[in-house]
Amino acid sequence: MDATPMSEALTPRDYKSDIKPVWCPGCGDYSVLGSITTALAELQLPPEDVAVVSGIGCSSRIPAYANTYGFHGVHGRSLALGTGLKVARPELTVIVASGDGDGFSIGGNHFLHACRRNIDLTYIVMDNRVYGMTKGQPSPTTEPDWAESALAPGGTGLRPFHPLVIALASGASFVARAFSGDLLGTAALIAEAIQHEGFSFVEILSPCVTFRPDEREWRKQVHPSPVEPTDDPARAARRIMTDDGFNTGILFSGERSAYAPARPEGPVVEPAYFEAEFAV
Amino acid sequence: MNEPKKITVEQMLARAFAIEREAQARYADLADQMLVHNNQELAELFGKLAEIEGKHATKIKQRAAGAELPYISPLAYRWPGSEAPENVDISVAHYLMTPHHALKMALAGEQRAVDYFEDMAKVAADGAAKALAEEFVEEEREHVALVKAWLAKYPEPPAGWDEDDDPPMLQE
Repeated sequence: MDATPMSEALTPRDYKSDIKPVWCPGCGDYSVLGSITTALAELQLPPEDVAVVSGIGCSSRIPAYANTYGFHGVHGRSLALGTGLKVARPELTVIVASGDGDGFSIGGNHFLHACRRNIDLTYIVMDNRVYGMTKGQPSPTTEPDWAESALAPGGTGLRPFHPLVIALASGASFVARAFSGDLLGTAALIAEAIQHEGFSFVEILSPCVTFRPDEREWRKQVHPSPVEPTDDPARAARRIMTDDGFNTGILFSGERSAYAPARPEGPVVEPAYFEAEFAV
Repeated sequence: MNEPKKITVEQMLARAFAIEREAQARYADLADQMLVHNNQELAELFGKLAEIEGKHATKIKQRAAGAELPYISPLAYRWPGSEAPENVDISVAHYLMTPHHALKMALAGEQRAVDYFEDMAKVAADGAAKALAEEFVEEEREHVALVKAWLAKYPEPPAGWDEDDDPPMLQE
């Protein structure tokens, strides 16, 4: 508790826009929106100092529903947009939102290099292991034997992408897994991720109740990580490689300095400054 | 962030207010969902529940008699579950759900509020705070009875209520 009177404090509601979400009722993304707004309220960040940037997909609708600055970008490019924004306006809290299709397939290369650069961004991926917006095709994180899509009869047979291991191997300095059904637990992780200096990756298991109704069972499968977060990437990698995929919590929190390119003093940098850097 | 071990009258009021305000917001969110998905009956029902919770929140503010309630950050409440006790579980919503389902959710929320204030009475800082917690327990019990009576008007729908011959989203 602090000395701020209740009437002067920002509430999660203050970070929600008036636009009604169009997600399917029961979708985990509603709770993720709640977790993000709760984390922002926990940190009492002025809405005008926050930007939410996304790509394409159900989860990427989230900037419209947040009462912050927002950018609903192009498919797979949310991290490129977020990186540009953070470099140009380092005083902003930049949250990048994506889904497993947007973030790990078409956006996979950006993911690797965002981790490697370790710019001070918070990257939230709502992972439902399916392309929901385009009506239920397998995504990079879909199980190989999931056979409900007509486009992959019998399942893809492909090994799923393991985002947490990839993030760790690529240099992300904060790696966590959350479950949308634990709204406050997820909010706490997001708040930690925002406060962490460097690239923070939070994978949120967020069920698609329309195309993956089996994911409603995730509620029974998730469990808090039994061990404390480590700052040793090798130890974190071993844990993540051998866990059951439903361990939640901070799984790695390192101390690598965030990358921030040199820039002139002052809050605003004119585009010409960066154009000059990239001139050929 | 540190939770006081003993809950004062002001802190009790702040908690009660937060519970009602969050429940109001949750019902309003569900009303919006049902409106977007063309379940008019449920949109109205959730809207009504939001209105009721809003009145409860206002009543608690009035109980504070103009005194400023202390700010407790969202995570510092340390609710016993994953959210404030009266918040209904948003993850079980369905676009074809019926008043029976909505009122069962509401009933569970009111019961959690009873349990919560029973626990708060045990950690009250003094007699006044304990009496207030017990008063909230009684109020929440009244809400449980009201929702039970409301629910009695809506028997459980037969199995298959969630089947849709023409769903808005078809697997491809």
